[in-house]
Formats: sequence, C-alpha cells, structure tokens
Amino acid sequence: MQEKPILNVCNVFKHYQQVTAVDNLSFSVKEGEIFALLGPNGAGKSSLVRMLIGFTHPDSGTITVNLDARSYSAIPHHALGYLPEDRGLYSEKTLTQNLMYFARLRGVDKQIAKQRIDFWLNEFELIERQHDPLKSLSKGNQQKVQLISAVLHEPKLVLLDEPFSGLDPINQEKVVTFLAKLKQRGITVILSAHQMAMVEKLADRMLLMNQGQTVLLGSLAEIKQQIGVSAELVLRYETDINLNTLDADSSRLTLLNNNTIRIELSDAKHLNTKLIELTQLGTLQHIESKTMDLHQLYLKAIAQHPTQEQRQHGA
Amino acid sequence: MEHKFKQILLVAKWEFMQFFKWKQELLSKVIMLCVGLFIYFSQSGALFSPDKYVIAVPSNFSASQLPAPFIIEKRSEAVEVLIPMLENKQLDGILLPMNTLDQQQQFKLITVGKMAWQKEFEMVLSTHYSKVLAERLNITAQQIELLQQPITLVNSYLDTKIKSQEQQSSSTAIGVLVLMIIGIFMSFGQIFVSITGEKQQRVTEQLYACMSAQTWIDGKIFGQMLHSLKAMISTLISFILVMAFMQVILKGQPLDLSMINFDLLPWLGLFALLGIYMATAFMAAIASAIDDPNHSGKTAFMILPLLPMIIGFFIIDSPSGTFVEVLSYFPLTAFAVMPMKMALIDVPIWQTLIAIVSTLIGCYFTRVSAGRLFKLGMVMYGKEPNLKQMLRWALKEPS
Repeated sequence: MQEKPILNVCNVFKHYQQVTAVDNLSFSVKEGEIFALLGPNGAGKSSLVRMLIGFTHPDSGTITVNLDARSYSAIPHHALGYLPEDRGLYSEKTLTQNLMYFARLRGVDKQIAKQRIDFWLNEFELIERQHDPLKSLSKGNQQKVQLISAVLHEPKLVLLDEPFSGLDPINQEKVVTFLAKLKQRGITVILSAHQMAMVEKLADRMLLMNQGQTVLLGSLAEIKQQIGVSAELVLRYETDINLNTLDADSSRLTLLNNNTIRIELSDAKHLNTKLIELTQLGTLQHIESKTMDLHQLYLKAIAQHPTQEQRQHGA
Repeated sequence: MEHKFKQILLVAKWEFMQFFKWKQELLSKVIMLCVGLFIYFSQSGALFSPDKYVIAVPSNFSASQLPAPFIIEKRSEAVEVLIPMLENKQLDGILLPMNTLDQQQQFKLITVGKMAWQKEFEMVLSTHYSKVLAERLNITAQQIELLQQPITLVNSYLDTKIKSQEQQSSSTAIGVLVLMIIGIFMSFGQIFVSITGEKQQRVTEQLYACMSAQTWIDGKIFGQMLHSLKAMISTLISFILVMAFMQVILKGQPLDLSMINFDLLPWLGLFALLGIYMATAFMAAIASAIDDPNHSGKTAFMILPLLPMIIGFFIIDSPSGTFVEVLSYFPLTAFAVMPMKMALIDVPIWQTLIAIVSTLIGCYFTRVSAGRLFKLGMVMYGKEPNLKQMLRWALKEPS
C-alpha cells in the first residue's frame, strides 16, 4: 500500500479580484523529502505558501495535511516551522531573547529550548553573539537566527520562503547543510527559491510554477525527461558548416556560430545515428558533452510555457 | 486550550516588558520624592527663606509690629533715600500708603524683584487692617467674619432618584474617569507603536505561524491593559501620597479621604477594568489596519475611546435624562456613563448588571474584531484596508 503523502494539494484555485494567482494546481509532498517550489516572480508561489499555512483559503480545490493520523486543511501551527519571505525579528532584543520567545510560544520547555538554542547557535557559529542585540548582526546572520527560530520546536514540516536570498555563497552552503540536517531528522522541507544550484543540490522533488499553473513536477531526472532533454553535445568543426545539408531532424540543433553547433539529446538510443550524420557535416575539431542544469531547464520550461493570453486564444 | 492560554500570557508578558523600563520607573519615583522633599523643606523654611523680612513703613503707620517673619521699621525719610537701602538689602521692601483709611485700603509695595513672601505679606497686612477697620467702625471680629461668609444654597429635586449633595460621590466617579483617561492615553501610544512597529520589523507573519491572530491580539490587549492599570494605580498612589503629604506633613492635619466613596469604588473599578479592556481592544483593531504609520489617516480613530469618557463628564448636570439612560446600557458607552450615573443618582442593581453584561458584550465584540482586523492587515499586506473593508471584516471574516 502506498504511503499517504504528508501534503496533498488537489485542483486548487485562488483568485484576487481579476488575477488568478493559483490556477488548478495539484501536487503532493512525501514525508521526509525536500520539495522545492520554483517559478518566476508572480508565479503564485507566495499565494500557495499563504494557503499552506492557513493564512488564506483556496477558492476551490483542497489542501490536505496528513499528520498524526489526522487531516488538516492547512499546516497546523504545532507542526509548522516557517521562514517568511518578509522576515524580521525583534531587533532590539538579543538573539537568545528572540529565540527563547519563539520557542516558548511554540510550547517548548525552557530548559529544552535553551539546549536547542545553544546547539543551533553553535552550528551557525553565532554562540558568541547570543547576548548581542539582533540589530548588531549582519543581515545574513539575522537570517540565520530566523532560520533557527523556525525549527526550535522540531516541527514535522518546515516551509522556507527564499531561505538563500541575501546570503553570501559561504552562508548559502551553511543553509544547505542545515537543510540536509533537517532531512536527516525526518523533517519534511518545502522551500521556494531562485538559487537553482542550491535547489539542484538539495531537492528530492520540485514543482515549477508559472502564472499559477504547474509547468513541471517531479525529481530532477523526471523533469529532464518531461522537458525532453537529457543532455547536450557541443560540436566544433574545422570549417564553417551548413545545416541545410543535414537529413536528420534539425529541430534540436542550434547553430552557435558558423562552425559550432549544439544538439539536445532527449533519447540516448539515437545517439549513434545522429553522430554519424553530424560527422558528415565536416571535420570535427572538438566535442563537448554538457548536462543541462536546473537553471537552463527552468529558463527553457518557462519560455515554452504559454502565457495566459496564449492559452485563452488556444482555447 | 491550555497552550493557547500560555501563549496569551507569553505575548502579554513580552508586550508588558517591552515597554516597562524599571530604571525609568525608579528614576521617576526618585524625582517625585526629591520634588516632595524640596517642597517640604522650602515650605518649612529650611531652604532659601531668611528668618525675617524687613519692611520700611511711614512713621504714621497704624501698627508697630506685624506677625513673623515680617518686621516693620518706621522711617521718616523720603522714598528716594530708602531705595538705595533696598538695593543694598538692608531692607526687603518699602510700603507706601496710597489713600486714607476712609476709603478701601491701597498700598504700594516696592521690592527689588518679585518675591515669594509678597503673597503672605498681603494676607498679614489684610488681617491687620481688618482689625483696624473693625475698631474704627466699632464692630467685632465675629461680625466681620459673618459679613465675609458666602450664602449656602441647598438644592432639592422632585426627581427622587437624584442623590442629595451629601450622598453624591461625583468626585469618586470623576476620579475614576480621569484615571481611565490616563490609562487609555497610555495604551493609545504604546499599542500603536507596538503593532505598527512589529509590522515594520516584519515579525507579524512569523508570529502568525506560531499562533492564531486572535491569540496574538488577546495577548497584546492583555499586556497593554496591564500597562494601563500600572499607570492608573501609580497615578492613584501618587495622588494619595501627595494628599497625605499636603495634609499630614505640610498642614499637620489627619489624612482625610472622605472624598472617596469606598462603597461605590468596587463597581467603578469593575467598569474601569472593562472600559480599559474595550478601549485597548478598539485601538488594537485600528492599529492592526494601519500599514504605514507615517501616512495613515486612521490614527485619528484611535482617539475615539475617549468619547464615552467625555460624555461621562457631560452628564454631571443631567444624570437622569433619556439620553443618559440609553447610553448607560449601550455596549460601547456603558462603562463610562453608568459609573457617573451611579455616583449621582440611585441606580437599581439590575440596571448596573445590565450595563455590565452590555459592556462585556462590547468587550467581546471589539476583541474579536481586533483579531479579524489584524488578520485583514496581514492579508492586505502592503495595502491599507479602507473603512468599508474593515467594517466587513469586523462583522465577519470572509471565507
């Protein structure tokens, strides 16, 4: 029997006056996985996040959170660790005061809260600053404190809106480690981010949204399959080439300059045939194999996704 | 439920401690004590006051001496001769008669500058001349006293509900209203800063992930209410201490608190408590809907809870009219009007109970509305809701 997903979003719509923020969205998140929400600004990620935390409700469709043999229509407070996009804590208060307040609000015992605060401040190398006012910390360090505040009660589900924004590469790596540790503890993580390299490293599965709709959904491998690209080859010839002489389907070929082409390989079975055809174009000087990264996949998928206007005309 | 209650207490404590600066509190009390001591010592003459004030009078002046600390020196020299002595501090003042005893007494007192003892000297001089006048007119001191006494008018009303002047406790009710105004002003500033400040620090969404909007607003109202009560109690204690200081220490009389009606006080206290709660909840509701405190026009609405108090002051002259009757039961005004009515007229207990129930309903409604408007403020983040939207949400949260 298949295990019930911890989160199930089914045919959800959300409108704000004339704007459709979420348009028939369906996906599910398995317990213990890291699930990424991707999409350009205005794709509907924040609207979705707000519905997930119960801040707003879907106009139609259902959100089901399965926890402790119960079902909820949004992530319940006790099980939620949340890092909002608009973040901030009490800047005049010290790190410990801020963290203790949020831990106590979550019902964590004072002694246990102290232990966990010390542990995470140590992990983020902020223990020396624990009695400093928050405002004396850099923006990146303040963000780390906020991340800590989201997990002190050891929630079942952590929802992080742009956890990497505003962080330098070193701190971004620290957050990656932090999230990996959460996963090790069996915590389900849902994150929205624009840093594709980080998402690629972390996410088990991802949902790419555009204009409130699902564009792609699945693991990185599944997404690559959906978009029809598994890898690409870049071939450089000694002399200029003419693609018109090619018999094969040239729709997946891109002429980068007069003597260089790029070919997207969606099906490895036909690689031999294609290579034979391509060698006939001229004398090869250099061959380079490239795997399309998430960033490129993202750009490609968004470019291919029809606009709302196009969809209306199509209909 | 238990966890929710703990959350309310945590928010209330956080809210209270955020504005409670014990060093400032201590400092203000020390300053008050210093002022009190200064008044005491200056009044008792230990500070600044010399032992005596020498006043030059014409040689034909009617008295040879005046009560201490004034010493009169009869001088025959012209004023021009005496003025250098005044400048050299050999004299404290020069008294010159300006007319005869047949007319109203008029004197001119020349001093170097405005002196603190001048008022006392005027009284001493006045008492002295009353005696001189009485002797001249052949009337006794008692007769003069009778002449000076004002008339007494005892009011009697056909409306039997209105208490007699001896039974009225308007000073107690006014005192409670004044204390409530102090409490509301305290809440007004702090809850505005607290809620809009948290919005600007972007803490609200984080808080919402921990608890419901209602729990958060309940804690905030409770915390701010504690501040208001602290301000009211500390004002009351200061008032009693000042009274005790003036009556017992300065005047040497026993402490007289007869102006306070202790029978009425528990009722007034209950109404004050409910009133402060409702006013704080109302202000929290308005502050929750304010997005940008520098440009919002809604701040003015926060002063509305003072309106019932103002009405309370106005009913002193007409405590038994129909208008007052209605307002004393109306949920948003009962907390201020009913106490004043109770102080001025005989109110049956059932009327008081109706006013309490009505106020409780008002408190519940404002509390729930504040929670909903806080959520509205977050839903409409970056855009301030208009009054129509606020009213719609206050009555019912849209699904």
